[in-house]
Amino acid sequence: MFNLDHKFLFVGLFLLFLTTSVYAKKGEYIPSAVGTMSNHPTIDGGVYHPVKNGKTGPYKINEKTLKGGYKFGRKPTSNELKAWDTDIMADGTGLPEGSGTVEDGEELYEAQCVSCHGDFGSGGGGYPALSKGSGYNMQKTLKNQRNRPDADGPVRVFGSYWPQASTLWWYIRDGMPHTRSKTLKDDEVYALVAYILNINEIKIDGKLVDDEYELTREKFLKIKMPNVDGFEPKIDGKGSLERVRKYYKNPKNFGAIKVAYAKRCMKNCQKKSAKIVRVRNGGIKDFHPPLSNKKDKPALAKDKLNVKKVYDESCAMCHANDSMQAPVAGKKSDWQAKMKNGGIKGVYKRGIKGLNVMPPKGGTTLSDDEFKKVVDYMINLK
Amino acid sequence: MKKTNISLDDNSKQNMTKFEPTQKSRREFFKKSAVVSVSAIAAMSVLDPVKVFGDDKAITHHAPWGQQWGDPITKNLYGIPSAYEHNVTRRYTKLLASGNYRAAIAVSPIQDIEGIITPNGLFFSRSHGGTAHVDPNKFRLMIHGLVKKPIVLTLKELKRYPSVTRTHFIECPANGGQEWRAPQYNSLQFAKGFMSCAQWTGVYIKTILKDLGLKPEAKWMLSEGSDNSEMGRTVPIDKVLDDAMIVWGQNGEALRPEQGYPVRLLLPGWEGNLCVKWLKRLEFASEPWFAKEETSKYTALKPTGKAIQHFYANEVNSTVTSPSPEIPWTDLKDGDLIEIEGLAWSGMGTIIGVDISFDGGRSFKKAKLKGLVLPKCWTRWSFMHKYRKGQRLLLTSRAMDDAGYIQPTVDQETEVMGVESVYHRNGLETWEVTKTGEVNHVQLRS
Repeated sequence: MFNLDHKFLFVGLFLLFLTTSVYAKKGEYIPSAVGTMSNHPTIDGGVYHPVKNGKTGPYKINEKTLKGGYKFGRKPTSNELKAWDTDIMADGTGLPEGSGTVEDGEELYEAQCVSCHGDFGSGGGGYPALSKGSGYNMQKTLKNQRNRPDADGPVRVFGSYWPQASTLWWYIRDGMPHTRSKTLKDDEVYALVAYILNINEIKIDGKLVDDEYELTREKFLKIKMPNVDGFEPKIDGKGSLERVRKYYKNPKNFGAIKVAYAKRCMKNCQKKSAKIVRVRNGGIKDFHPPLSNKKDKPALAKDKLNVKKVYDESCAMCHANDSMQAPVAGKKSDWQAKMKNGGIKGVYKRGIKGLNVMPPKGGTTLSDDEFKKVVDYMINLK
Repeated sequence: MKKTNISLDDNSKQNMTKFEPTQKSRREFFKKSAVVSVSAIAAMSVLDPVKVFGDDKAITHHAPWGQQWGDPITKNLYGIPSAYEHNVTRRYTKLLASGNYRAAIAVSPIQDIEGIITPNGLFFSRSHGGTAHVDPNKFRLMIHGLVKKPIVLTLKELKRYPSVTRTHFIECPANGGQEWRAPQYNSLQFAKGFMSCAQWTGVYIKTILKDLGLKPEAKWMLSEGSDNSEMGRTVPIDKVLDDAMIVWGQNGEALRPEQGYPVRLLLPGWEGNLCVKWLKRLEFASEPWFAKEETSKYTALKPTGKAIQHFYANEVNSTVTSPSPEIPWTDLKDGDLIEIEGLAWSGMGTIIGVDISFDGGRSFKKAKLKGLVLPKCWTRWSFMHKYRKGQRLLLTSRAMDDAGYIQPTVDQETEVMGVESVYHRNGLETWEVTKTGEVNHVQLRS
């Protein structure tokens, strides 16, 4: 990798040399080339920064910063670890002792969950469904593809899809109920998990989680979800990281395509059978706010006039004292002098239009009536 | 030219000072031409200067903003965009909103964004339990598990580590995910706006781990957020030791609350969901976790019935941003030279080239990359085109990265992934430019 980088640097420098020597003489603008590869043209001063061996490329970095020697922070206390290190792993690591019955779970569900997740976890409240009947039966729908408008899709609910029950226990305790999470006691979580297993008709150790069932930690650890083998890459058990590495090295696994740049398709790249498919019936248009590229001024919601605020921000600088030769706020004699020319209406009028260094309406965007109220406030200021 | 004096009695609503036209007859002529061209104006985009034969009032008349005080510098001490830009905004749809918009997404107006940086207020926003507002004084980051020296850091302590600044996109892996079966959105913002790109400042996790002493059996890292959903995701150690960062800076300021203020994880190029916001804890272990958002959601179900779990890198992708359904070519004239512009990005590397097709991906021409071309970052591309009025086009872009990946056709992708996988769709996208210059979202598929 070290060598590769140096090679690249060399190529870049060579190109730089080439382009500057060729074009600089002519005094022309060099549109690209610095750090670009000859077959990947860039414009507008483009500089090409590659990734080598899957690692982020040659940003300039102060190597000294990577050598360590920082002693920030402190060790967490055992109570702090106890408070935060509460994740639940698939093998039961982190799962506390406790128990709960389906019956208690149903009661809790009716009280705290049904408004969002619907009767028996059927969904419909804008939140996900938790069950569509037997997890074992529904697991068989996972090969369904909605290729036609009338085709049924795969059912991806807890019972039919989730590989591990630990995920459910963990998420209910930390993320539920959505409006006030982390308020359930461990036994309550066990009860809710028992209820959700029940409505998905899951069996533990061959026994159906029926209405009378009591779930304990020991029983929980025996749960084998219907779709436990439905995922790839396989990440449970020894060698998980190695399997993940191998899986993502094969583009065929995830629908990707690798090709040499020079060999990419440039002609006849679509299948003959490919046809234009359009957005049907206008498609989804429920956009908020509606799409628009108008450059107009929005109608602003009028704030309630705060005369003191307007005075402080827009008038006081000149009218607070006589340093600007403007009539002083609250000083009756100053304003009476101004009213000799057209009375208060004259004062309003000149204020609205602006006079000498006085900008129209004092530089505000007030309506005439609002402006008059500010003038009144200023004249009568105590 | 002689300027009229505006008297105080002038009731001009426009508050504009007029230049007196030299001849009255000319003024009347303006009136006539204005009437004649009403329909022409209506047909044109509101953005265009009114192309009436005659003088442009925007030039011949003083503009109101040129004749009166502007705002004092005391106004908007944290600046906001021009009021005229109010339509450039994140948008949401009820289809993608669960839980009273607390488990939902607001997408970025990429049709309006310039260059490769998304302004912070327009960065797409996705949460699973609402936007948390974390008190930075009470922020703590705990790093523990298979390290020799577990630690707790305050925000101030975290920021004492030497920082790096990197420009990377973050993309929700469901970008384009509603369109596996057919195009559904006649909109670029909704078809591809589940992503944004910013300059991030933070510390490489490998820098911190140097001092904490990672144990050799550590193969996985759990990252956990402090928000209402306690978002958790598992990260393989390879990524942690490559370019994973803990970031606090976004385009020169603190992260926005929607982006995880004060601190989020950044895994350049990988699913946005993995870049856990409102970060509170990193734990190292020899076995992976099965968090909700890597096993029950964010998994891609294939026609075999098997689903990809722990899905990471967003694959190479691209889109034409101009034209787009939001920015049509209805105002172009025959023979106009116009720049076709777009974005390309890959979570696996640096973009090395973008090709453009005018026939829906049957044949391609090479486009040019524009400006900085950075790893795992939005890359602009450009193609100069002579517009022919009445010509129907099927504009398709196709990007390639230096990891060797190229965007598949819709057919190639669905052959492996089917139509139910929701996530990581990067098949070719096509805009149909109609004879009148309207732009429609279409797909070419068997």
